[in-house]
Amino acid sequence: MNTPAIQISELTKRYGKDRGIDKLSLQVEEGEIFGFIGPNGAGKSTTIRVLLNLLFPTDGSARIMGLDTVRDSKKIRARTGYIPSEANPYPFMTAREFLHYTASFYGAQQAEKKITELTELFDLEPGRKISDLSSGNRKKLSIIQSFIHTPRLLIVDEPTTGLDPLMQSRFFDLLRSENKRGMTVFFSSHTLSDVQMLCRRVAIIKEGRIVNVEAIETLRKKQLKKIRIEFSDTVPGDLASLPGFENGFTVTGNAMEFIYSGDMNSLVSTLIGKDISDMTIEEPSLEEIFMHYYN
Amino acid sequence: MNKSIFLRELRSNATSLLVWTVIITFLITATMALYNIFLENNTKILAMISILPEGTLQFKGVSNINDLFSVLGFYSANNVIYMLVLGSIYSIVLSSNILLKEEYGKTAEFLLSWPVTRGQAFFSKMGVVIINILGLNLVTTIAGYISLETCKKEPYNVEAFLILSLYTLLLHLFFAALGLFMSVLVKKPRPITTLSVALVMVLYFIFTISNITPDLSWAGYISPYKFIDLDVVNPAYRIDIVKILYFTVFSFLLIFSSLRIYLRKDIYL
Repeated sequence: MNTPAIQISELTKRYGKDRGIDKLSLQVEEGEIFGFIGPNGAGKSTTIRVLLNLLFPTDGSARIMGLDTVRDSKKIRARTGYIPSEANPYPFMTAREFLHYTASFYGAQQAEKKITELTELFDLEPGRKISDLSSGNRKKLSIIQSFIHTPRLLIVDEPTTGLDPLMQSRFFDLLRSENKRGMTVFFSSHTLSDVQMLCRRVAIIKEGRIVNVEAIETLRKKQLKKIRIEFSDTVPGDLASLPGFENGFTVTGNAMEFIYSGDMNSLVSTLIGKDISDMTIEEPSLEEIFMHYYN
Repeated sequence: MNKSIFLRELRSNATSLLVWTVIITFLITATMALYNIFLENNTKILAMISILPEGTLQFKGVSNINDLFSVLGFYSANNVIYMLVLGSIYSIVLSSNILLKEEYGKTAEFLLSWPVTRGQAFFSKMGVVIINILGLNLVTTIAGYISLETCKKEPYNVEAFLILSLYTLLLHLFFAALGLFMSVLVKKPRPITTLSVALVMVLYFIFTISNITPDLSWAGYISPYKFIDLDVVNPAYRIDIVKILYFTVFSFLLIFSSLRIYLRKDIYL
């Protein structure tokens, strides 16, 4: 059996008033794109920083490719790439200098070729000073530096923040192609749609604990929609008994709002004949999904 | 030691080293250029000093007024503030920022995710601090020596000058070690430049107060300045192993403790 790419066992990190993470356990298999999702402050970045040994665990342990994250930190980092959520590279360097500086730590073979390829892919001018770059361009730089040494594991923390849709799509394509070549991806995000697009499995973290690890397919089947219907007159009383309304709904004046998990056809059939003045269907926020699942 | 970090830090600190070296060298040579004028007007100067408040000379580390008229006494009394205070400020600011800037600038998230151990990062940066301090001291000592040789009317004790320069270097290294130690204790990353400068000033102030107030002479031992022998004109001026040990042992302990703390430090960004 293959060694897992990431093996976290009962990992706890407490600090000050912050919750940190509490007895967190999960396993990421080699070669998968694994989603790590949760609202802001749930403990995603803390988990990643413990994996990279920026933080030391209070209890428990974590192993990457079979190596201990505290004892073998340097060896791990030689095989790992990391894209932090906030990209703050050295402001006094140019993008090219920063990428060469990064490459110098890895002794990366063909770094120059890789830098050229990636800066072209992401439309980044390497000669520009980092302090003059927009946050989106800094994010691109942060992405490029993580690929320079062709890592076996890529850890990404909120990677799409600041990227425009075109660059986001190029980045996702790059992740998929590198994944096909064997790279494992640990993809942390609070954007469910990003995770759904890329990952096969996802761990949901809430208040420092793993709530569930699910296959994305299962989540998809539980396709949730946030629906708001405004009626010309009062809200009809017979809607509550329909399947898909188990978690209830809220009524404000003539309007009703609910998270719907049932069959769309049966909802539409039910609504035929009702006097509807307005209707919106949108993706629920992650918090709303959490409320729906874990209340 | 990591070559990339070492070279990067050397380059990024070069301008600051150059500026500080030029300023201190200029102050030393400009002050020494006044020595001849000082000698020519000795009567007026003696009259002027006589009306100054008691303790003014002790404030400058001068025990006997005639010492001021020897070239080395003049050098020591007038340049002490530049070499001992400005040089120490340079050293502590450099060292208190060198690791910490990676945290408050949030660049540690890159640096410490690349394959380098904390120990390598620590020693590479510490190496740059030591080299910069050696560079500053080498240039300013040479400038001091040339000024003394140019201005001297009579022979002076070159050995005493070199011993004073050695104490100055050790003081700078001590402040660098102290700055480094303070920086690894910082939990919420932010610059500690003001605190570092204030600490040097306070320790110098304690030293001068203890010099002019006999009742408070014990308090001087809180300050590392107390362990620098400024009485260079004294014919019995010799290197004091206790003073050398004081600086080296404390600097070593501070650096060793800093390393121990940094190796286990949680890097919050």
